[in-house]
Amino acid sequence: MRITDRVLLVLCLVAAPVAAQVTPERLANAPAEPQQWLMYSGAYDGTRFSPLDQINKTNVQRLSLQWVFQTGVRGRHETTPLVIDGIMYLTTPQNHAYAVDTRTGRPLWHYQRALPKEMSLCCGPQNRGFAALGDRLFMGTLDAHVVSLDAKTGRVRWDVAAADADKGYSFTGAPLVVKDKIIVGVAGGEYGVRGFIDAYETESGKRAWRLYTIPGEGEKGNDTWKGDSWKRGGAPTWVTGSYDPKLNLLYWGTGNPGPQMYGANRLGDNLYSDSLLAIDPDTGTLKWHFQFTPHDVHDWDSTHTPILFDDTIAGQPRKLVAVANRNGFFYVLDRATGAYLLGKPYTQVTWAKEIDGNGRPVLLPNTDPTAEGNRVCPSGTGGTNWHSPSFSPRTRLVYFFSYEQCDTFMSDEKLEPPYQPGRLFIGSAFFPLPEERQASKVRAVDPKTGNVRWEFDEFADAWAGVSSTAGGLVFAGDGQGNLIALDADTGKDLWHMQLGAPIHTAAVSYAADGRQQIAIVAGDAVFAFALPKEP
Amino acid sequence: MRMGNSGVRITLAAVLAGGLTLHLSAQPPQSSAPAEQTRNPLTGDAQAISKGAVLFRQECVFCHGVGARGGMRGPDLTTGSWTHGGSDADLRQTITDGVAGTAMPPNTLKTDEIWQIIAYLRTVQQAAPPAVGDQARGETLFFGTARCSTCHIVNGRGGRLGPELSTVGSARSRAYLVESIRQPAKQLTQIRAFGGDGLKYDTVTAVTADGRTIVGVPMNEDTFTLQVMDQSERVYSFDKKSLKSVRHENRSLMPAYDAARLPDADLDNLVAYLQSLRSTASVRKGGSHENH
Repeated sequence: MRITDRVLLVLCLVAAPVAAQVTPERLANAPAEPQQWLMYSGAYDGTRFSPLDQINKTNVQRLSLQWVFQTGVRGRHETTPLVIDGIMYLTTPQNHAYAVDTRTGRPLWHYQRALPKEMSLCCGPQNRGFAALGDRLFMGTLDAHVVSLDAKTGRVRWDVAAADADKGYSFTGAPLVVKDKIIVGVAGGEYGVRGFIDAYETESGKRAWRLYTIPGEGEKGNDTWKGDSWKRGGAPTWVTGSYDPKLNLLYWGTGNPGPQMYGANRLGDNLYSDSLLAIDPDTGTLKWHFQFTPHDVHDWDSTHTPILFDDTIAGQPRKLVAVANRNGFFYVLDRATGAYLLGKPYTQVTWAKEIDGNGRPVLLPNTDPTAEGNRVCPSGTGGTNWHSPSFSPRTRLVYFFSYEQCDTFMSDEKLEPPYQPGRLFIGSAFFPLPEERQASKVRAVDPKTGNVRWEFDEFADAWAGVSSTAGGLVFAGDGQGNLIALDADTGKDLWHMQLGAPIHTAAVSYAADGRQQIAIVAGDAVFAFALPKEP
Repeated sequence: MRMGNSGVRITLAAVLAGGLTLHLSAQPPQSSAPAEQTRNPLTGDAQAISKGAVLFRQECVFCHGVGARGGMRGPDLTTGSWTHGGSDADLRQTITDGVAGTAMPPNTLKTDEIWQIIAYLRTVQQAAPPAVGDQARGETLFFGTARCSTCHIVNGRGGRLGPELSTVGSARSRAYLVESIRQPAKQLTQIRAFGGDGLKYDTVTAVTADGRTIVGVPMNEDTFTLQVMDQSERVYSFDKKSLKSVRHENRSLMPAYDAARLPDADLDNLVAYLQSLRSTASVRKGGSHENH
């Protein structure tokens, strides 16, 4: 825990000339500081693109391991580390956290939260990372608190309860700092929660606003829920959103309605589940919404990181947002207005014929879950999932991880569970057919057309996100532990390294001592790569 | 949030979730199943059984199959025989902590939810059916003319290509065993050694650059490499790119034992022998020898 003199020396040597304070201006101009990784997606636009190009297509074969940091915490590490002025800030499962010197891989401090013994966590005690402002870090916790840590020591500066963990609320996603507020999304779509997005004052931890993702009584959209089903309708917000400083709009995805595969008691579109929300970050006011899967009964959360980019459509310059959706379609919307522009399948889709001109799916018959089971593509896991997508402004392609799998979906009235606070509220199951083989792919889609430009086949069980770099590379991972560098133009694999344990997150890139590093978490450890030092 | 959400529970919970106990500094691993309550307080409680059925479908069905009758990865839980102990306390521990070395993951279910699942399991558990067939004749067939032991090992005797069968009687129902013998391709057994969904006892055919064809069972595989055991139990490691072709066939290397190859009476004898293969002690401590 103590910062030794040696480390202090190191930090002085590598620290950027600017004061080690993260400001809202630095966050808004993150691409201008490619030696940092200042927020979950690298920059507000959600593109997970590094402008660094020291590592490129011709030298990537020479990547060599610089250091490994073993967290000592067992479990699925879904975290995106932040890198600020030479120090990596890393969260792990069970709400541990570390600061690590990026030059050497040596830890500087360790934080561990005391958690309740029993928590309502559908998918494990995961955490996806920090947000940073000033000399502080912010994390949402599994027991539904938001904590602020001192970035120098890991000590708690404030700790506020956001929601009742006993009712199934938890935080797993990385918060996002917008101006003087921390925006954080909640998990609990399997527990009958009523989803929300919260904003807290960074200084005090005081809640600035809360936007419920399900409208309350008397509010517009409440009538898209049968009876009082809206009270426990889910629509969680468990993956970090994106932000456009010029439009001053926050973009955040919402998850499945609950119970997720039994819809008879929540007839209606179930707004704003499975939607993209555009929000005024100062007030929490909803500006527009777009629902991808109305009345979802297949667990197709739309919590994906929204990718913000600009392009010309029909001769007009447009501000756009792209989402490769769990429901199997790739979408492009106008991010100023929410207008639907494009929706095209990128994988096998059997539940909808197409997306109509208003952005609504044209449903195919007999695709709801039944007591005996109904085979539908994509699977409950989706054509993709939360794994971070990426967009390269050089190639103009959107990259994302995807699955080729169908599932048998079961649900029936008999197994519809009564709502009990903090208990699973699913009422159903889905599983693949034993005789079908699951495939995993990294796909590159041209957002102008929705066409798949290339795809790279991975072995089954892959769960990693992707990131892209100005070196013309896409970094991906497979479920068996390979970190893979692909040619961003063609998808050809240029380099890979077996790291010995599955990868459940996406790589980050930054510089230490003036050298570009690529860091990825595999198993319980962080691996940092760079080109060999010049002799 | 089910990120795989059910997929996760399902896929991830089973494959990856692992991380429920932390091993930092000098902390001992937490044991999440304290010994104080060893009997299920909810046995026979109709409401608990129905809640348990719901939970079972949500949490367990992917591996243990509809009605707990066994699936690709998980054993049949209706046979009345439990590999890791059948007392309430044993089942609670198995559900809570998982079983190291198998696909059975630790779970974060609450205590009363675990009791509900156990209450449900007690209702689907069957008394062992009266044995048909002659166990001793079945054993003779297994190691003799039926040539099962060419590929399957039982208590240290036999081949290594197929799944070990030393405790198969605890894990699989009679119906499953019959299907596996008559139609081995119907449900390929998952190779559980490394957790994932992707590996099963299917048939891999690899053609090398110099034209040799190797047919075998995968031992492991990732995006770039493949490790295979061929029918003479030789182990190969390939870079996929160096191969002329590599193909997974969705069939077992095991021949289908139809009635011509194995008459019904012999099938009964063989199944009687397989059903007699049950664990005598929990293998929890030593880990599983499911594969290799």
